[in-house]
Amino acid sequence: MQPVMTVSLNRTAVQIEEDAHARLSAYLADASAKLAANPDRAEILLDLEQAVADQCKRRMVPGQTVITLVELGPALDEMGPVEPPEAAPPAAPAKPSPTGVLQQVSEGAMISGVCKGLARAAAIDVTLVRVIAIVLLFATGGAMIVLYLVLMFLIPFAPLDPNGPPVRKLPAKCREYVLLIRSKLGSLTN
Amino acid sequence: MQAEAKFAPIRKGLLEFLVLKIVGTESVYVPDILRKLAETEFATQEGTLYPLLSKIRREDLVQYEWQESDVGPPRKYYRLTKAGKAQLAAFDEYWAQINKTISNIGR
Repeated sequence: MQPVMTVSLNRTAVQIEEDAHARLSAYLADASAKLAANPDRAEILLDLEQAVADQCKRRMVPGQTVITLVELGPALDEMGPVEPPEAAPPAAPAKPSPTGVLQQVSEGAMISGVCKGLARAAAIDVTLVRVIAIVLLFATGGAMIVLYLVLMFLIPFAPLDPNGPPVRKLPAKCREYVLLIRSKLGSLTN
Repeated sequence: MQAEAKFAPIRKGLLEFLVLKIVGTESVYVPDILRKLAETEFATQEGTLYPLLSKIRREDLVQYEWQESDVGPPRKYYRLTKAGKAQLAAFDEYWAQINKTISNIGR
């Protein structure tokens, strides 16, 4: 013998056995939690209540007035757990953090990748670095070119990323010649 | 089956399109939609469909109206809005394009 409760499903009174009621409460609580951020939560919950009532009614034998687990179990299985269609919001792209490692970056470089390397090491926009470099170029009356060449020969090259954007012609040439000259110098000093 | 699992996200993404198509043909209520989908690869459940319908209603692609029923409480009948029809047409066109691309690429 089972105690029977009267509940309201989508504003209609329905009689349900206690253990079935526990199962239904768990289902609706799960649905409610999953829809927590949904502005139509209340309305969807009422729709689901109505669906539960319809599903159970279809399964009841003529003359039956109380919903039991026999009807409710298969009904909830057929309805399936609530799955919000909104995919989780895409994670914000990770903000670049200063790497602190100064390397020339050939991919996307204009000349040899010094500005790109500086920008990456300090986690700032490469355009800003380039603008500063060009301002300095004029302010120093061209001496910036010498500084650039020095940095180009001193700063190590970052390894090429096989999945990265292709390297333009000029940075590729710079890389090639600088590495060649470095290896020649290396063999001379040894 | 591994391939089957890989297709699952594709089906999930296309479900909204399928629902728009079903709602587009006539004014329907949820059991109609479920029945039509049940015969296909896109078989789904109330737990998925109600939140989806509420989402596309908020996006103003569908709207519903209450209709009296002989056997129970009034039912929500869904139909496409003007924006929903435009979205469906765009979907259809895009889908045709994708189909063309898939059958032509790698030949």
